[in-house]
Amino acid sequence: MSTFTRSSTSTSTGSTSDGKNGTTDGTLNATTTEATRRPRLSGMTWLVWRQHRAGFWAILAATALSVAWIVYQRGQLVDFLDGYGYPGKSLDDEGGKFQQYKDAFSFVSMGLQAIPILLGVFLGAPLLAGDLENGTAKLVAAQSMSRTRCLATKLALAGLVAVVSTGVLSAVFGWWWNPVKSDVTFMDWTSGAAFNTTGPVPVALTLFSVFGGVAIGVVLRRTLTAMVVTFGFTVVLQLVWGYFLLSLGNVVTVTTNKGVNVYPSLPHGAYEIDQSYVTGSGDLVGWGTCSGSQTEAARQVCLDKADVVGWSVQYLPMSQMNAMQWFGASILFALTAGVVAFLFFWGRKRLV
Amino acid sequence: MSEVMYAGEPAIEAYGLGMRYRRGWALRDCSFRLPVGRICGLVGPNGAGKTTLLNIAAHVLEPTQGSISLFGEAPGSAEAGRRTAFLAQEKPLFRRFTVAETLRLGRELNPGWDQRAAEDIIRAGNVPFEAKIGTLSGGQRTRVAIALAFGKRPDLLLLDEPMSDLDPVVRHEIMGILLAEAAEHGTTVLMSTHVLAELENVCDYLVVVSGGGVRLAGDVDELKSVHTLITGAREGDGLPVALGHHALVESRTSGRQFTALVRPEGPVIGPWETDTPNMEELLLAYLRSPDAPPLITPTAQVHRQGFGTGAVAA
Repeated sequence: MSTFTRSSTSTSTGSTSDGKNGTTDGTLNATTTEATRRPRLSGMTWLVWRQHRAGFWAILAATALSVAWIVYQRGQLVDFLDGYGYPGKSLDDEGGKFQQYKDAFSFVSMGLQAIPILLGVFLGAPLLAGDLENGTAKLVAAQSMSRTRCLATKLALAGLVAVVSTGVLSAVFGWWWNPVKSDVTFMDWTSGAAFNTTGPVPVALTLFSVFGGVAIGVVLRRTLTAMVVTFGFTVVLQLVWGYFLLSLGNVVTVTTNKGVNVYPSLPHGAYEIDQSYVTGSGDLVGWGTCSGSQTEAARQVCLDKADVVGWSVQYLPMSQMNAMQWFGASILFALTAGVVAFLFFWGRKRLV
Repeated sequence: MSEVMYAGEPAIEAYGLGMRYRRGWALRDCSFRLPVGRICGLVGPNGAGKTTLLNIAAHVLEPTQGSISLFGEAPGSAEAGRRTAFLAQEKPLFRRFTVAETLRLGRELNPGWDQRAAEDIIRAGNVPFEAKIGTLSGGQRTRVAIALAFGKRPDLLLLDEPMSDLDPVVRHEIMGILLAEAAEHGTTVLMSTHVLAELENVCDYLVVVSGGGVRLAGDVDELKSVHTLITGAREGDGLPVALGHHALVESRTSGRQFTALVRPEGPVIGPWETDTPNMEELLLAYLRSPDAPPLITPTAQVHRQGFGTGAVAA
């Protein structure tokens, strides 16, 4: 970002006055030198960072802590797996020792799934609603900076913090999961715990939640109300997302004709969506057909009578996970772009 | 002074400006012109549309009707934004910023920022630079807000009741700064106020809005000179018939006396005392009688418009 500039002379000494502050006659030295020790922000970027620095730092610090925790936990997991002899030995019959690693995993996963809601409510909703409520939007509007640029800087910085934090966490969490990714007992890849915490999905969900919160904030113009409504919005978003999650993939159907006693073999990690019997004419009948038969022979007669020749199983292979995540994320990115367009349209019309 | 500025460039030209909120019109058909270099008082009763007018000029609100231009540019333009400073009525500031950070805000966001001018205003009030805005008193906060507006070095200052929470001493001091700044840099000021003393001593131009429209606009001396205050003995009800051909703004009776403010259409001859009204008498008369014909003097008239009723022969 071009607005980030490092003042090289004062980094070392911390006492020389920045050239830009030459007009101050050194009267504000105490405050300006403190600022020059760090990378210097300028213009609108400085203002947005200064205004929201508590929130931004909290998000980044929480991210850093989580990353450290994940790195530590992954080390523990890898040590255990090496000692255990995985993947040579299956984790299924390992007993209770593995449980603690699973628990640590699902605990962090739950935290990651809450990020879109948390950032939407605490970063998105107050971002502009606070300015509108306190009248500081008027203060900023009264300066020489163009309104579109103010809005762009604000959205960009909030978006950047959200993307950096969720992007890093998603990558690190995926890295943690990787050694045991193929083990379905560890975590089901279609569950929110895996699908919504890796790849582009956490970034997309968070961005949409945050900008959705911003939009709710500008419409309601009250911080607290906006936060409550944004909470509802982000929760509904999670529910809707979870509902349509499996629709993101291309369902694969496998059919057999070797009778019902031979179940088709699915690829490793496949998520089974539906199973039914298939008849000789290709029709599907429920797999409960003939389940009322008393004996095996009677069942066979019943099945023959219904002309059942085998199984038809619908499933999503794990190889689709990445594509599904990107497909879903691109839908969310498109929705986010729509929200941003609305914000700019609104910003030109009516700011205060 | 009015003769010199007569054909002066307009700092503000409002034409048919109207603003409607959900509950009705706050401002309606408001047209006036403010020449460059004037300190203009914007006066009117509460709810007359003063704040709405200033907000439209500061591009905080979009007018429902009409247009306004600042130095020939639309309020939203970069040029108008750079040349105009606006101090909103509630004087919004970031509460968690220190005073120094608030000034830095001005420095970061305004290319023509004058740090020394802003600091001088802060220092004159002994406001500590490292104090958080939220810990300051109302008056100190107003001072910081004013420093922020002045530090921008605007060509046009829009002030919405700038002095409302200052004590008389500080008010006097800030007014002194305002006058000095305006005189030194030729700044045009449009300032809404309730305080008549501010108008009397500071403003040389006046715009009165009431009932949503402009009632009176123009150079103060000129406005005074075209009115006559007549005092005399009552003859029955109302005004003496002999005064009937003058344009009456307001008449009041007390005991056996009457007082009338008129715009004479010729010499006032009769057994009455005549006087030039002061600003207060002029304002009160217009604010109390909403039916009086509006008066917009030529310098305050927007070109291309025909204000038959309000025009005064130059």
